[in-house]
Amino acid sequence: MQPHPAYLLHRRPYRETSALVDVITLEHGRLRAVARGIMRPGSRSRGRLQPFTPLHLTWSGEGELKTLKVMESHGPGAMLAGEGLLCGFYANELMIRCLPVELPVKEVFAVYSSLLEALPLPAMRAPALRRFEVTLLEALDAEPVFVTENDTPLEMHTQYVYRGDMRRFRPALAQEQGIDGRTLKLLARGDWESPGLARVAKQLTRIALQPLLGNQTLRSRELMHELAVRRQKAPS
Amino acid sequence: MTFSPLVDRLLDALRVLPGVGPKTAQRMAMHLLERDREGGQHLARVLEEALAHVGYCQQCRNLTEHPLCAICESSRRDDSQLCVVESPADLLAIEEAGGFRGRYFVLHGHLSPLDGIGPGDLGLEQLEQQVNAGMVEEIVLATNPTVEGEATAHYVAEQLRGYGVRLSRLAYGVPMGGELEYVDGGTLSRAFVGRQPFSE
Repeated sequence: MQPHPAYLLHRRPYRETSALVDVITLEHGRLRAVARGIMRPGSRSRGRLQPFTPLHLTWSGEGELKTLKVMESHGPGAMLAGEGLLCGFYANELMIRCLPVELPVKEVFAVYSSLLEALPLPAMRAPALRRFEVTLLEALDAEPVFVTENDTPLEMHTQYVYRGDMRRFRPALAQEQGIDGRTLKLLARGDWESPGLARVAKQLTRIALQPLLGNQTLRSRELMHELAVRRQKAPS
Repeated sequence: MTFSPLVDRLLDALRVLPGVGPKTAQRMAMHLLERDREGGQHLARVLEEALAHVGYCQQCRNLTEHPLCAICESSRRDDSQLCVVESPADLLAIEEAGGFRGRYFVLHGHLSPLDGIGPGDLGLEQLEQQVNAGMVEEIVLATNPTVEGEATAHYVAEQLRGYGVRLSRLAYGVPMGGELEYVDGGTLSRAFVGRQPFSE
């Protein structure tokens, strides 16, 4: 087996010296595997097998749980710190929660790599995250379809509310906060990363991801929220 | 082959220890039963006592059977420096390395959103109260150089930012006596970014 490009999404201790890992690979999508012996003192693979570092992996096993064989780092990882790091956790948590194992998602892998390059730069963070979320939604056939519930085109000057369950929009009620048709048409054209639409794009991807996540909240998002609340309360 | 139900229970019980599999458990049990019953009784008594009485220090959350641990009790430590570590083992490593005369705070873990470990599990409120009391001038963030350790350091730093304390983080570097050729790429590139002015 040729080594496959991959990233570690999460690692947890398994038995005494091994780890259970979730990885995203270029050609085979998300995999769960055992990395044997990497928690042994002096194991050289332990340092390599870190999230956000490009890896080359080979594995064996026919079942759902693979065994990692070769674990090599392939270039330096993104130097994530602070908020960029928390956003990285968020992307990893999204993939673990949403992607079924062994569903090939080449585009998601590619967009995730560019996301990691963008995360250290605060101004690039939000657009790169939106692009990642939309690519993930598309890979899972869950992206918003920009038409009404009855499959009619959206009107420029009408306010709409997104229905995650139907992946379509309905006109907003009188008291309801909606998104106007003009903005939605821009998003339909693929303008997810445009700065003027940042707030709406974030709101919409969040609702669109909800059906994939079920009832459990995203812990990394909670952590970012707690931090933001804390920052507001902090004595100055 | 099995000996007796009680011996089997002992073998099973010994396997809670890290690094102890069936063979090692058997060797340990045979040693205690055949050659050192007195030692075994002593072990049983101390183990029971330790489990019953050892808890966390009220101030730094280090392991101790007293309300305050020896470091917190000591009047010779520097109150102005507080070192935040993930585990009692990390505290011990820093103490053995020597050089740090301040006090500690033990988190007993790190933030790991994907494992569901949040700030509430790390005693961060207690840390904030101590900083708020006003003696501390510098916080040394000595969490592990892993992504979770980094996230923890970031969270603690954000939490304490408003208190006017100086925040520092352990440096990344190449190991003493190591050869660059064998240092992993991540460590080396961070050591490069964090290089120091050369002074003789």
